[in-house]
Amino acid sequence: MPGRPRDTLSVWQVVELARHPDRPYALDYIRRMAPDFVELHGDRVSHDDPALVAGLGTWRDMTVVFFGQQKGRNLAERVSRNWAMMHPEGYRKAMRLARQAAKFGFPIVSLVDTPGAFPGAGAEERGIALAIGQAIMGWFEIPVPVVAAVIGEGGSGGALGMAVADRVLMLENSIYSVASPEAAASIVWRDNARKVEAAAQLQITSRDLLAMGVVEEVVPEPEGGAHLDHEAAARALEAVLWRHLEQLLPIPTAELLQHRYERFRYIDSLLQAAPDFGPKVEPRGAAGNPAER
Amino acid sequence: MAASGGRLPPIALTTNCPSCGVGLVPETLRDQCYVCDCGHHFRMHGDAWIALLADAGSWHERWADIRPHDLLEWKVPKAYQETIDQARAEGLNEAVRVGTATLAGHPIWLAVFDFRFVGGSLSIVAGERLTRSLEQAAAARTPYVLLAASGGARMQEGILALMQMAKINAAVGRLHQAATPYFSILTDPTYGGVPASLALLADVNIAEPGAAIGFTGPRVIRQSTYADLPSGFQSAEFQLRCGQVDMVVARTELRARLAHLIELYLRPLRGRR
Ligand SMILES: [Zn+2]
Repeated sequence: MPGRPRDTLSVWQVVELARHPDRPYALDYIRRMAPDFVELHGDRVSHDDPALVAGLGTWRDMTVVFFGQQKGRNLAERVSRNWAMMHPEGYRKAMRLARQAAKFGFPIVSLVDTPGAFPGAGAEERGIALAIGQAIMGWFEIPVPVVAAVIGEGGSGGALGMAVADRVLMLENSIYSVASPEAAASIVWRDNARKVEAAAQLQITSRDLLAMGVVEEVVPEPEGGAHLDHEAAARALEAVLWRHLEQLLPIPTAELLQHRYERFRYIDSLLQAAPDFGPKVEPRGAAGNPAER
Repeated sequence: MAASGGRLPPIALTTNCPSCGVGLVPETLRDQCYVCDCGHHFRMHGDAWIALLADAGSWHERWADIRPHDLLEWKVPKAYQETIDQARAEGLNEAVRVGTATLAGHPIWLAVFDFRFVGGSLSIVAGERLTRSLEQAAAARTPYVLLAASGGARMQEGILALMQMAKINAAVGRLHQAATPYFSILTDPTYGGVPASLALLADVNIAEPGAAIGFTGPRVIRQSTYADLPSGFQSAEFQLRCGQVDMVVARTELRARLAHLIELYLRPLRGRR
């Protein structure tokens, strides 16, 4: 990709492409991959969360469980989808259906596109922090292949709750960040108008994350961005998702789960390679403390 | 049972109690675990928590040599390296310290957040110490005690700070699979990536009276939803009502409660194996 005009995009231009109102959303990809997609609803406790689409469909002759954080195309849909900001019920729905996928042996595809979990009083009252924490922990126990792709915005813990997978991909003009540029500016500078600086500092583009080893692959978008050609963007994503899933299908379950554990366990290996990061292997019985015997 | 394992170190205090207004006598307050007569719990730092929870002389710190690095070359508004150097010059060693100890004679792993180090923010070093200690606790089935106090993930470490949540929770899952008792104490304040990773996933979640605990802070919630938040929103008592914590325990009672819980959870089973 080096040398192409898109390399000259500023970080903020990438943020704007990631949030472009005409950008393909999760259902635009899912319906192309699995035209027979059947949506399933509800966390079986109290609510359905429309910010997360979930269900099954046929993809490459297999039954696959799809998840997608879904933004709305027009104002009415944006309101009903809550701008793809999930409530606790969404993460509970995801775990319900991930366990169902595990029961039947269906692989899972998760498309990530959210500014973050919903910052509201109701979400807090119904336990948004715990719901995300349980989802993150829960994904490590789902004994089927899981492939995730950030297709637009990967906002903080709300995105990570749907992005614990064996492979994590990013569309070229998507972003994935510890906090939205606005939130980071507000935390670090106490001024969310500094969002452009914050975005540059945070290193949130697909290329940054690939370089840091946080994602396995960046999926190139059509010239000018995915919003200009949904069809081509979907074809490109489908092909890369399949290439990764195909490699995962034959891996025995125990090995798959161990790899998933180690994928995140050593994800900061850049830092762990530093000489003063500390011992990587524990000396046996080093401490002489009763807790270790 | 003594309220603390050893004598608590001095901590920085205001001249008056923010809750009842009474003038504070530091030495008196120190002897009552920094809890005012009115019930106000003052924020304690890592050393004070270790002195409170661990039996005197039993604390054995691990992996204190792991150092943070400025991977993102963070410059504005302040260089991250400078932030780290300053905190270290003040004698602080990252936002989380872990080690082994005994509590009323029971061996435990103890992980303590220190809010003074960049707001107790979850960093790569914090994540690494937590994960290593969780793995060791699971391997030996040693009860794990967490003391949480955090503003969330550390911005200056970017996406790799966020990834610590996954790394840690994977290890928490293995702690549970190994049937190792896990106790989490949530203190003021515990927000963002810490309650959304390990702090609410314990077998018993314990909150300190009056502690503010939540995912998104009240300022951001008001900004984004224009909501009128009731008084006591996200307090320990609120989280008890919302089913997120098992109990709210006064600091002076905490050690005795933990010792009792450890006995209950570690008691050998009868009639089945
Ligand atoms: Zn008072």
